[in-house]
Amino acid sequence: MSDDLQPPTVDRRRFLTVLGTAAGGGAMALSGCSTDRVQKLVPYLVQSEDQVPGVATWYASTCTECPAGCGVHVRTREGRAVKLEGNPDHPVNQGKLCSRGQAALQGLYNPGRIKAPMARAADGGFLEITWDDAIARLAGKLGEAGNRVAVISGAPRGTFSDLLAEWTSAMGGRLVRYESFDHEPVRAANRQVFGLDQLPAHDFGKARYIISFGADFLESWGSPIENQRGFARSHGFSGGDVAKFVYAAPRRDLTGLNADEWVSLKPGSEAALALAMANVLVADRGDDRVGLASALGSFTPAMAAEETGLEVETIERLAREFGAARPSLAVAGGVGSQHAAAAEVCAAVNVLNFVAGNIGETVRFGSALPAADGHTELAKLAQAMDGGELAVVLVHDANPAYTLPKSSGFAARFAKVGFKVSTSMYLDETAALCDLLLPQHHALERWDDVRPRAGVHGLMQPVMEPVFNTLPAGEILLRVSRKAAGALARFAAPTWDQHLKTRWQALAGELGERDAAAFWHAALQRGGVYRDPPPPQEVTLTLPEGRLSYTSPTFEGAGSFTFLTYPHPMLHDGRGANKPWLMENADPVTKITWHSWVEVSPATARTLDLRDGEIVELTSPYGTVEAPVYVYPGIRDDAVAIPLGFGHTAYGTFAQGRGVNALDLLGAPRGDFVPYLSTRVSVRKTGGYRKLASVAGVPRQLGRGIAEGISLAAAKKGLTVEQAYLEEGHGRHEINTALELEAIRGWSEEQQRATEHGDYTRELPQWGMAIDLAKCTGCSACVTACYAENNIPTVGESEVLRGREMTWLRIERYWEDPEEPGAPPSARFIPMLCQHCGNAPCEPVCPVYAAYHTADGLNGQVYNRCVGTRYCANNCPYKVRYFNWYKYNEQAWPEPLHLQLNPDVTVRARGVMEKCTFCIQRIRDTQHHARLEDRPIRDGEFTTACAQACPSDAIVFGNVKDGAGRVARLKQDPRGYHVLEDLNVRPAITYLAKVLLPAEA
Amino acid sequence: MRTLAIVLGGVGAGGLAAVLAFASPSPQAQQSQAPADSITAPVISDTGSLKGPRQPIFFRHDIHAGQFKIQCQYCHYSVDVSPEPGIPTMQTCMGCHLVVAGSDSSSRTEIRKLRELWTEMKPVEWIRVHFLPRHAHFPHQRHIKALGPTACATCHGDVSRMPQVFKVNQVDNMGFCITCHVERGVSRDCSVCHY
Repeated sequence: MSDDLQPPTVDRRRFLTVLGTAAGGGAMALSGCSTDRVQKLVPYLVQSEDQVPGVATWYASTCTECPAGCGVHVRTREGRAVKLEGNPDHPVNQGKLCSRGQAALQGLYNPGRIKAPMARAADGGFLEITWDDAIARLAGKLGEAGNRVAVISGAPRGTFSDLLAEWTSAMGGRLVRYESFDHEPVRAANRQVFGLDQLPAHDFGKARYIISFGADFLESWGSPIENQRGFARSHGFSGGDVAKFVYAAPRRDLTGLNADEWVSLKPGSEAALALAMANVLVADRGDDRVGLASALGSFTPAMAAEETGLEVETIERLAREFGAARPSLAVAGGVGSQHAAAAEVCAAVNVLNFVAGNIGETVRFGSALPAADGHTELAKLAQAMDGGELAVVLVHDANPAYTLPKSSGFAARFAKVGFKVSTSMYLDETAALCDLLLPQHHALERWDDVRPRAGVHGLMQPVMEPVFNTLPAGEILLRVSRKAAGALARFAAPTWDQHLKTRWQALAGELGERDAAAFWHAALQRGGVYRDPPPPQEVTLTLPEGRLSYTSPTFEGAGSFTFLTYPHPMLHDGRGANKPWLMENADPVTKITWHSWVEVSPATARTLDLRDGEIVELTSPYGTVEAPVYVYPGIRDDAVAIPLGFGHTAYGTFAQGRGVNALDLLGAPRGDFVPYLSTRVSVRKTGGYRKLASVAGVPRQLGRGIAEGISLAAAKKGLTVEQAYLEEGHGRHEINTALELEAIRGWSEEQQRATEHGDYTRELPQWGMAIDLAKCTGCSACVTACYAENNIPTVGESEVLRGREMTWLRIERYWEDPEEPGAPPSARFIPMLCQHCGNAPCEPVCPVYAAYHTADGLNGQVYNRCVGTRYCANNCPYKVRYFNWYKYNEQAWPEPLHLQLNPDVTVRARGVMEKCTFCIQRIRDTQHHARLEDRPIRDGEFTTACAQACPSDAIVFGNVKDGAGRVARLKQDPRGYHVLEDLNVRPAITYLAKVLLPAEA
Repeated sequence: MRTLAIVLGGVGAGGLAAVLAFASPSPQAQQSQAPADSITAPVISDTGSLKGPRQPIFFRHDIHAGQFKIQCQYCHYSVDVSPEPGIPTMQTCMGCHLVVAGSDSSSRTEIRKLRELWTEMKPVEWIRVHFLPRHAHFPHQRHIKALGPTACATCHGDVSRMPQVFKVNQVDNMGFCITCHVERGVSRDCSVCHY
């Protein structure tokens, strides 16, 4: 072949270059001929005053996920809410927010929301109708019904509850308000012994000794964030003594795992222990106020020992410890005080607090607020339904078809009502039975207010346009009133917003504010009005007939195990089950996600030959459920437990058909609460098995020193963890021997050289973190915050089973075996996230430099470079790198859930490794601000999402180089240590060892 | 041989495009001759020969920013405070065009389109010319601060001379960013932009 016949030498690279040049020259229209997808820029029609594209706008509002009424700040971007954080001004939560509160966002964008008003069609399904039609239908039915009307609602909150009450009574109807975990036994006890129909405020921060009789105050009971803040103050270590915390209950929940001592007493015998403790104190002190000595005379430690199964010495010791600490605090609650003799437990604890002198100190009365009506009223209403006395029933903010045991027959009775209406946002079990669905606005879409306690008026404002065709519940009531006229005609406010504002004008007057408009604006800015709580009310103890009573617990059923159930820390009474964050954020105690389990003690498991995941059948007189076993060392041998919150038959795809409903084993409410502690069950092995969808790793530390502890005595002396070990007589563990150091020296130098590229020689901050394990309770609020901030996908049950959960930040729970054999293990919690190692093992193994070290001390992960070899994850000693195995980014956020995504963080695609970034988007954003103002970043100017959320303030983030900063100071703490320090990877996270109290102090 | 033919065809098309690019008078070539303070936007008779994607409304930056010297930030209002430059709202357009109806038939036609959309309360759906992939973060405000008055033109070219906006620089190509960062001695750390 001659030369002139040779084809021109065009290789692939050259060909692409030519094409590139041509396109770059601009001859080919970008959109016309290019294969790039055409992107549109769609401007606003009218500029919103408070929105700047690319800049977050924050609104103050109030959380309604539980009755605690925490203040929130809602971060919105381009007109949609993307994150919830605590409002630092709010007296209840002071800037912190729990998992459930943060997950309100997934309630707002829930795919299971009812998108428009609907009516029952002839074929049994629901048909979308217009609001005018829907209002007319309800008004018509109310007109026919006369006073045969009832409303079932959640606990009263604020102005809306007042309107609802007035509205119902104007028709002559009946209103029943209830909560699943009612405080009615506490109120009953307060009426009995103090003559006050109130719930007192508890000050955990002031207490120097805390004993909880089954009250899960860190998860559900009372105001969990406020309790946890107080608990961190009294139980966290700051140089001096630490308040001891004793948990007396048949099962340790998350609160119980944070106790220094677990007193495992027989189910239902809490009152005996409390009374015997009071007896010991009264006898010791010769205290005979109001005839206490004689009233308590029969409750000797010996009697209590018989009832509770404890040693007499233990009871006497607890009593004297409790009496010696001033002030101390005893609380009763949770399902431990939701049984036939519940009021006795609460009365006994009242007496104990009174004897110890805690009333007015850590237990303060004086803030009476409207209470729920309780289950007695609900049962009466159900009877009225059964008798056909009711023509119209409206259900608002309640789901009785799920939260009442099936044995109460609510669904069948509800079905006898002629016309059933629900204002639920979701098609829950009760709404599914209704004839008319009037979906209300989500809390983030409407004006409203909440009065969580005296002096606190939380305001809610719409932070965005409604996602769906819904209305505020108040607006529904007002529109119906206008249509129905008659008795309802007096509700004349043109709109719900107007009604609320009128009420706040009145409030301004009540609070002595002259300028109502200024008052309103200030409230709007701060998220409400916060006045000091009223001074504690003087109370006197009166014993009815000079006596105190105690009833030995009795249980229905012939089974050999007492059945315990408790609110799931994430799902509460089941209302959280439609939010994937809460389903995938594991139960902090068992680390199980997405499904139910049965807790049995190790001894029971041996007796019945049960292992984790084996399916057992539990039978009570009321029903049978099947669930897999979880062998749990924190439960008595004579009891088994199932968490509440699962087993929904409706309520959206995330909730429906997952796990079992523990209420199926319980009887109908008797008295003012659901008798959560009332049955015995038999346990039968079915032979079935299902792997637990658990995110737990190895259950014990195996001497690796991951979650370190130090005795209180050593901590007070200012010893380091290593010094404390040496003092205890442990041998010295040689780390970083000369050879090891030599081996990594060259590598360290190479790393240092690599950081000298570009601009790296400038003086830059070094980001670091300190985590105080003495404060961390394992509540997992940080985990949810991380999911929300960083667009972490939830992968679902089947992927969790394969170990593919994406929790950048996880809470590890390790069991610590006690020194004396037979005693139950204690637990240590440790938040585990990328340690941003100075000598990171993940970095040198990445073939494409996707994992690398930044000049400001971060372990960077560049998604667009990552090719997914996963070498980095294999080489990470902390196992904090997570790989996108599937298109989680396309599956985790079904519409409209994708609207929650944080626009500042890349949504990672399949095949990419990802991990904690120390919230680099927040670092960069703060740097931008500082640079625009020509100033350095200030300490505490911003923090990571996890540190922001932490109710205990256990996590602190900042610039290590800033000597005056909080992180730099905490890193100097003698309790500080690095996890797996001997690997010499130089983590940027310093943990502060947990301070351990001796069980018998 | 078939593969080769396709390759050659491709080269031919590319070459043709390159020739066209040189044949049409480039607005950039014109602007270098005109003094900066007196720009007269040319009459455009053939919009088909203009560079850049054809927009739903023939909005002329050369008239607004060039001839009338309206500051970029009058319309792109958030560029110095936000990562996003801010696309002017319809209200901003109508602020002037409620009164300004256009001086010739072609501009009157385009302004009428705007007014009709405004009457119908519909936004203009502009075709996006400059965009970055989602894994790159570009804070406009930092660059405005660092580069001063000429900041916009550094990446977007002299828009005040463009009857129709086109991409002068490959802003979506990391090399373009890096070149500038190297020249100015600013950070080249990956995680400054990628996170």
